Amino acid sequence: MAVDPQKELTKLHGALGVSQAVIKSTFFEWRQTALELLGPSSNALDVVLKFWEVAGVDVAKNFFPMLNLRKGQEGLILDLARALAGTGIANGAVVRVEKGEGPLEALIRWERCPWPTFAKRYGASMKEDLLGCDKFLQTIVAEANAFLGTDLKIETQKAIPSGDGVCLRRLYK
Amino acid sequence: MGKLLFEWDYSSYPGYKKYPHLFKPIKIGKLTIPNRIKYAATEDNLNAGDGFVTDAGVGYLRERAKGVVGGLCVMQGVYMDEKRQGQGYVGQAAAWNDKFIPGLKRLADAIHEQKAIAGCQLMHCGRVGGIETEYCQGPSPVSQRLRIFRPVEVMSKADIKQCLKEHVEATERLLKAGFDYVEISGIVGYLLSNFVSSYTNRRTDEYGGDIRGRMRFVVECIQEVKKVCGDVPLGIRLCADELLDDVGGNTPEESMITYEMAEEAGADVMSVTAGWQESIYPVISRDIPMGSWLHLAERAKQHLKIPVSMAYRLFTPDLPNKAIGEGKLDIWEMCRPMIADPLMPKMVLEGTEDEIRPCVACNVCLARLFRDAPMTCYINPVCAHEWDPKYEIKPAEMDKNIMIVGAGPAGLECAWVAAERGHEVHVYDTREELGGSLIEASKAPYGDDELYGQITFAKTKAAKAGVNFHLGTEVTPELIEDEMPDTVVLATGPTYVKGTAPGFDRANVVPMLDVLNGKAEVGENVVVWGNLKPGIGLALFLAKQGKKVTVVGKERKLGKDINPSFKWRYVGYLRDNSVPTYNDSEIEEITDDGVTIRTYDGYRIPIKADTVVCTVREANPGLKDVVQENGIELFVIGDALVPRNLSSAVHDGYRIGIRA
Repeated sequence: MAVDPQKELTKLHGALGVSQAVIKSTFFEWRQTALELLGPSSNALDVVLKFWEVAGVDVAKNFFPMLNLRKGQEGLILDLARALAGTGIANGAVVRVEKGEGPLEALIRWERCPWPTFAKRYGASMKEDLLGCDKFLQTIVAEANAFLGTDLKIETQKAIPSGDGVCLRRLYK
Repeated sequence: MGKLLFEWDYSSYPGYKKYPHLFKPIKIGKLTIPNRIKYAATEDNLNAGDGFVTDAGVGYLRERAKGVVGGLCVMQGVYMDEKRQGQGYVGQAAAWNDKFIPGLKRLADAIHEQKAIAGCQLMHCGRVGGIETEYCQGPSPVSQRLRIFRPVEVMSKADIKQCLKEHVEATERLLKAGFDYVEISGIVGYLLSNFVSSYTNRRTDEYGGDIRGRMRFVVECIQEVKKVCGDVPLGIRLCADELLDDVGGNTPEESMITYEMAEEAGADVMSVTAGWQESIYPVISRDIPMGSWLHLAERAKQHLKIPVSMAYRLFTPDLPNKAIGEGKLDIWEMCRPMIADPLMPKMVLEGTEDEIRPCVACNVCLARLFRDAPMTCYINPVCAHEWDPKYEIKPAEMDKNIMIVGAGPAGLECAWVAAERGHEVHVYDTREELGGSLIEASKAPYGDDELYGQITFAKTKAAKAGVNFHLGTEVTPELIEDEMPDTVVLATGPTYVKGTAPGFDRANVVPMLDVLNGKAEVGENVVVWGNLKPGIGLALFLAKQGKKVTVVGKERKLGKDINPSFKWRYVGYLRDNSVPTYNDSEIEEITDDGVTIRTYDGYRIPIKADTVVCTVREANPGLKDVVQENGIELFVIGDALVPRNLSSAVHDGYRIGIRA
């Protein structure tokens, strides 16, 4: 029986899109659950930052097998930058990694990201969305540092939730 | 004969002879209406946010009152509670306090100034209400199908009593304001219909149960309001078919029981409607043929002694005239045809039907209301600006010689308006026929042929205003320099562009207009490049011919240039015709076998295609430089300025027509 590649790929791509959407919806549903259980004195930002810290620690473990000090600091930074970009791509973002001005820095550019749209749909603030993402990425970098004994840093230079049109993050030593 | 408020004699008008049944009097309760025409209550979001009537609202209604030539003109439904639970639209008029009476009187007076019957409507929006609250009211806690509506808070018996009291008090205020006719709205998902429907009323008390129980609230409402109406007739709007069979709504037979019970309770006239906002079936969009719902009025007539009125795709006078003559209908209602042309029935009476601006049943008027925006009309640029002198067609201060390049909808609109103002207008087009690319657009299926009515209208207006046409004539820089007009209006339409990917220069890549005109050969497997309205219309045109069509486009969402109240129809038809759509995608390459597309997130998908049709448009600055170099006043309008849609073309044309 002949394979119809258009049909097969379209079906897979559609399913991927749905799964990506479900992941984000689930996050916000859990956020709402936590806030309701914690009661009126709870702070959404605290809940969200804790979530992304937990997620960051867990996701970082997936990256450890691919991080290799023998590639040198420059190679390590690019590999980690690509891994960080991958966390966005897996969720439906369009993310590109570029070399920075110096050899020990990489720029990670989110040209498009669905998270702010979902945050709006579920009534979460843009500040919360931005700080949550920052926490996630910072945690991964901190875990990588703890694993490899490095001293890498990540900073946010531009952010879609702040109205900059792109998220631009600098990973550097 | 009942009470007659204004004397009208139609016998000398051409429309009286052509449509005799439309201009016969009819009695509603104790009131005689001189004709069979009703402007049906329509929300317009033109009132202040706190429910007070505005100049814009008065201006809007005055124009419609003029249009009904002595018939019934009904203001929009009012909400009646201070908590605003019944409010369904941000600009809905209120009647919950005496402080609203002066504004309401302005509306009644505006209608009376035109010697028309002033109608008002009570409208608690129920399940689709609570626009300014966190909840809405309803008989039972049934989840909303559409996300935009509020969660339902169940009405207690005390709430029901309070609601009835508010209906009565609002009626008293409306009568003090001078209205001659009162109507209760129980349709499309508003509160009364929520009680009536087995879908939304799951109560087990006396206000629920079988159809008689579910009608109890409506019956009490009619009886209570009737008590204060005195000799003023009372009408009601109820669904003849809810079109909610997919969620367990009423059967058509149950709906007829509601009609009989409403009549028994004291209703003097029945306005027949179909469908809810939550219905999954289309009711009033242009893909539904005109006259499709007349069988519901006919059925209502078989069950009632009181007069029956109906709107719902009765856009031309021949349909209601015939139906009234055959005893299937008593009164011709209109909303959208009179949004598009407020004087429509007046023109029918006066025998100038060919000058009526026809509604294209696009529902942008509804889409605006649901998005908290003031009423507007796709093809009537003056709609909701009737009060504003800036929108009037006034004689020009200085006569000009105006050259309009392009006889599409933008150019034609500009032409007739400018000519009516006294300018000498010359319209040029390389085609031999008026209409521009709307000629091709009207060939798309599912009612798009109705779009061409805009050209017929503008053609007539232009001819009567003395516009000079130069068809089959290309405007060159030399022609402009020879003619040296005072003003040039570029309405040339867009340019159609190919993509830049490898393969776009192949012979099997053809322009959209050639396909619609039958000039290009199209294979069995077709990729339509462009996911806006032109691409969608073309895809459906080809799919109806049995082609296997795929739509690919760069826009993130399909048909973002189509208003949401109509887009769902196109989406449905694409699905029905098995047309896959790839939005947010680029064509990466066109080869012998077909097309490779690249999705926004980098995935590549091969699509089998014999032919690629380009529908992507760009602005067309064309002759702009030569006009400006010669110091001639220049306007660029319609798709030549920015490719958009028919509405933008017409609105651009009108605005420049009144300004040039």
